[in-house]
Amino acid sequence: MSQLAEFTQQKLIRKPILAMTHVVYGYPSVTESLSWMRRLLEESVDFIEVQFPFSDPVADGPSIVAACHKALEQTLDVDTCLSQLGELARDFPESRIVLMSYLNPMYRFGLEKLAKRASEENIQGLILPDLPIEAASQYQQACQRHNIDPVWLVTPVTPTERLTMLASQASGFLYCVARSGVTGHSSHESKAKDASLDDYLALIKQHASAPIGVGFGLRKRSQIEQLIGKADIAILGSALLDAYNQGGQNAGIELIKELFH
Amino acid sequence: MQSENGFYGQYGGSYIPEILFASQQQILTAFEEAKQDESFLAELNKQWQQFSGRPTPLTFCANLTEHFGGAQIYLKREDLNHSGAHKMNNVIGQGLLVKHMGKKRVIAETGAGQHGIATALVAARLGLECTIYMGAKDIERQYPNVFWMKQLGAEVVPVTTGAQTLRDALDEALRDWSSSHEDSHYLIGTSCGCAPFPEMVAFFQSVIGNEVRQQSVAQFDQFPDRLYACVGGGSNACGLFLPFLDNKEVEMIGVEAGGKGLALGEHSIRLSHNLGQPGIAQGFATMFLQDNAGQLQETHSIAAGLDYVGVSPIIAHLAETGRIKMTYAMDDEVIAACTLLLKKEGIIPALESSHALAGAFKDAPNLPKDSKIVINLSGRGDKDIFNVAKAVQDETFPEFLNDYLASYPTRHLDNQEQN
Repeated sequence: MSQLAEFTQQKLIRKPILAMTHVVYGYPSVTESLSWMRRLLEESVDFIEVQFPFSDPVADGPSIVAACHKALEQTLDVDTCLSQLGELARDFPESRIVLMSYLNPMYRFGLEKLAKRASEENIQGLILPDLPIEAASQYQQACQRHNIDPVWLVTPVTPTERLTMLASQASGFLYCVARSGVTGHSSHESKAKDASLDDYLALIKQHASAPIGVGFGLRKRSQIEQLIGKADIAILGSALLDAYNQGGQNAGIELIKELFH
Repeated sequence: MQSENGFYGQYGGSYIPEILFASQQQILTAFEEAKQDESFLAELNKQWQQFSGRPTPLTFCANLTEHFGGAQIYLKREDLNHSGAHKMNNVIGQGLLVKHMGKKRVIAETGAGQHGIATALVAARLGLECTIYMGAKDIERQYPNVFWMKQLGAEVVPVTTGAQTLRDALDEALRDWSSSHEDSHYLIGTSCGCAPFPEMVAFFQSVIGNEVRQQSVAQFDQFPDRLYACVGGGSNACGLFLPFLDNKEVEMIGVEAGGKGLALGEHSIRLSHNLGQPGIAQGFATMFLQDNAGQLQETHSIAAGLDYVGVSPIIAHLAETGRIKMTYAMDDEVIAACTLLLKKEGIIPALESSHALAGAFKDAPNLPKDSKIVINLSGRGDKDIFNVAKAVQDETFPEFLNDYLASYPTRHLDNQEQN
């Protein structure tokens, strides 16, 4: 079993659902973002999903886009980022950090090097939302060589055959997008009625042996409650960023407590 | 040009968020069916002819030929399309495909507004809802086009993220599509983006080169010796070049925007002088203007339609293999070429197309007198009236604008008059 999957199983013995909180590296500054991650880890979040910014984040909504663009006003370096995350990973062995970015900055850094460095820093999972599995054989091999998990996404409109394929290949966890559209609140809220989330998660559970993480649009306690027993990890992204933007770290922590305790 | 699973050498492919997978597959299937479907192709040809005015002429330029004293210069007159540019060839094709797929709404990105207007025209004609994403800065610079899009019934959404130009508009169109994919089609304006868009846009634009094949033989008994096209996204270049790909004796020259200089941020040269680097963004792999960390960078051109950070994977591949020779023209050379065409031939070229003119004019004097070159005049220049007036420092233009403003009835004044 993968390191992330095993970690998740162990944690689930004591909790009904795990919390993955999202932080944009370098927002509003590198130091501030690292301090925010440390605070989250002190508050015992189970996972942090750290987004390394890209200039053109097409799967993200306005909150995260703005944070990425603000972060890119300074020069950011993948290698330095990984070292800094590694330090946090060492200081907080009861939590896990996964790295999310878009393909281009990682492709320029080198996918083999990325897997190797992530592994060295104990960053056990990687999420690249614009790298489809069909184009990922080298990346998959690199991850396997270095014993880290490439995390794949599925969505409510993923055709069943493809969903089965992705679920069967999932390691670490499977990232289930809860609805159509981009992250967070935006003008692009889907008008289409997606199939019931319960049915969708049940179908995934049939085919996936890896833990199930659910993200996109989670903001309320009732949504988290609805996921208990059907998913293993609830991923909190834009809502946490919005709270952080409005009231700093304390407001962010308050939101997490409200949602998960 | 047929791709290999969406790839052209190392470029192209499909790098999109998972949410778009099903919609992309639907377009792949619909396009594969449509290009074999006689009735679809007949309707396409009919609309090209009856709505856009095809075929466009191949015009011999006697005065320019004499002026340079070298190659015989011909222009492929895409400026004579309805809407004034080659953009129409593609939007008619994709518009018909949208009807075929049963979708009700189109989304498009636009930089200068030419693709936005073309999309709005076709949407109006086909009864489709239309949303156009346009950078807030481009809206300021190109308001006349925005005005017409709105009059045509399109919703124009200003994009305020990033540099607020074409690249940001494209990102935002993709975001819209991620939530609206079930009833909306992303009508991309150039031969970029995920598969099958590069191949599909090139297919619809190839009507340009296919006509030149017939017209050149009819008018001067041979294929042209050289073809010139400006390269922004690359769709007009694909359209002229691809039908001649197997005719090895036909040389092809793509002209990029040199802008104000070769420093990063001052130009849009992606395919020569090692200025662009391979990257994967906005759904596909190509040469992008980016920094060492893989962040996409700002670009510049006097022609908004060439001001793009990436380039068609088809052109990137053909440039890499040497089939297309790439060069560039600076902003001031472009204005000079535009002015020369106005004076010598009585044709008003778009500033985008003036790049192709500038590239060809540099070579023309040194080519044999019996050689024939065809330059793709991809669009007409009426839209550039403000930019060209500024560049040639027309003295009366500001006066005209002031007078216009002084006599413009504001809503406030209208109300007063009514009272």
